Amino acid sequence: MTPIISARGLTKRYGRTTAVDHIDLEIPPGKIVGLIGPNGAGKTSALKAILGLATFEGELSVLGKNPSRDRAALMEDVCFIADVAVLPRWARVWQLIDITEKLHAGFTRETCMEYLKQTKITLDHKVKQLSKGMVAQLHLALVMAIDAKLLVLDEPTLGLDILYRKQFYSSLLNDYFDEQRTILITTHQVEEVEHILTDLVFIQDGKIALESSMEEVERRYVELMVRPENAEQARTLGPLYERELFGRHIFLYDNVAREQLAGLGEIHTPSVADLFVATMKGGQS
Amino acid sequence: MNRLLALVRREFWENKGALRTTPLVIGGLYIAGLLMSIFTTAHFDNDLYTFREAIRFLATQPVEFRATHGYEVILGSSIFFTVVLAFVVFFYLLGALYDDRKDRSILFWKSLPASDTVTIVSKLMTAMVLTPLIFWVVFIFTQVVMAIIASLMILSVGENPWTLIFSVVNPFKAWAMLLVTYLAASIWFLPLHSWLLLVSSFAPRIPLLFAILPPVVFAVLQIWITFLKTFTLNTSLFGLIGDWVANSPAIFVGGEHGGETLLGLGVPLTGDFDHAITLANILDRLFSVQMLSGLVVSAVFLAGALWLRHRATES
Repeated sequence: MTPIISARGLTKRYGRTTAVDHIDLEIPPGKIVGLIGPNGAGKTSALKAILGLATFEGELSVLGKNPSRDRAALMEDVCFIADVAVLPRWARVWQLIDITEKLHAGFTRETCMEYLKQTKITLDHKVKQLSKGMVAQLHLALVMAIDAKLLVLDEPTLGLDILYRKQFYSSLLNDYFDEQRTILITTHQVEEVEHILTDLVFIQDGKIALESSMEEVERRYVELMVRPENAEQARTLGPLYERELFGRHIFLYDNVAREQLAGLGEIHTPSVADLFVATMKGGQS
Repeated sequence: MNRLLALVRREFWENKGALRTTPLVIGGLYIAGLLMSIFTTAHFDNDLYTFREAIRFLATQPVEFRATHGYEVILGSSIFFTVVLAFVVFFYLLGALYDDRKDRSILFWKSLPASDTVTIVSKLMTAMVLTPLIFWVVFIFTQVVMAIIASLMILSVGENPWTLIFSVVNPFKAWAMLLVTYLAASIWFLPLHSWLLLVSSFAPRIPLLFAILPPVVFAVLQIWITFLKTFTLNTSLFGLIGDWVANSPAIFVGGEHGGETLLGLGVPLTGDFDHAITLANILDRLFSVQMLSGLVVSAVFLAGALWLRHRATES
């Protein structure tokens, strides 16, 4: 299958700083990819290049198009929520629906209305009258009513409450996602998205620190919790990362046989957050 | 095309206050002014005696006199509308590519499949066609209301408004001419429109300052350097802009001078063009060397605005 996003040597410089540093990336269709990295790692810069919002160096093709040159054509098949609350504040809900319908061939008004019915938003509301959470709901309703091949969400739930965030991701997964579609998400709240992701991309200092499917993560990475007396032995097996919790030592291993570890203590599959911390710390040392 | 229209409609929604409410308020002021003058007259004029005499005098004037003056009154009363229209267009364009950068809603607009080119064209269309059209329609509506009020007044003193005015004055010709001057002036001022869009696409804040300061600094330096060289105060960018306004195909001057009505295109300060309000004179401006050079300048400004719009989400 042709990839949805294909980047080779993708680089973005702002003056002397290199925000994205020769990234190679390939995202096939039907995936939910989490693009995860610390602040200033280059996530947003990479997303901007993918969405045609910024120029770049290197090769980048999104749905076979050059995003910087063909942004308008690309947006026929790509939707994005770049940040919370970027809907124009002067606009009324019906006006936004109207203009999206006029400009987007793949927009279905009925679908949008279905989503809006589940909220307190009315067609006559002005965006500036809505709370932050409601604006996010409105934006999501607009976007989910568009039949797009790629949906990009950059911190879509920043500043929203936990109830709304849960609902957001569940409707994304249950109502929107299918094999034809690809979703690319960046977020700081890794715990909330890890159950819905199919693939992980960690990015650090403009470079890719880890690119893996969730299945591979489960296969490759093991977390081992041991009592202090076994810690020394655990260290000899070459853990990626070690931390202490309630007097126990927790080690994270990459590609170490589970049987080898099982005798030392309890083994788990690490959470994405722990894997992230381990990868970032490991990358620094 | 549908996309362009959808985007023009979006401009209207966003700027309803300036584009629609402003002319309505001016129209309301015109009508209120007329009513106030009627009440003032009625208050001081015993049984409308003077008014009746004035109407009777008007009735004795030849048909041509009434026709010409009626035509000039219709066009002349548009001047205030035109001046306000110019201000509305100026400030609309100044914010056109600025406001959505400021409130970051540009990220929403750029997520829609509309190119930067069609976006900029939609802003120009709004400034050059939609806004003049709205002002024109409201102006006509205002005049119709005022004509009805005037007719009632004329009837009340026992004269027939139809034979007196309406059968001899052709308002349609005046209205059509006004619309032509509006659209011609839109084209004539394209360099200014383009400059405002360019400023609007890059100004980090206070676009008004960025629109006015560079030409002022440039012109002052120009004047100063010329003065040092030749000890004269010769032509400068100010002069050029002034001539541009003076030569514009919009009806800007009105009034009376020694019994003659002065109503003309632009302001008759230079001898470059004939200022009489005729179609030939309007076309003469649009097919002039000035206009051609103006189009070249506009193309440069617009290309710059497009380039900057493309990069507006860069950082």
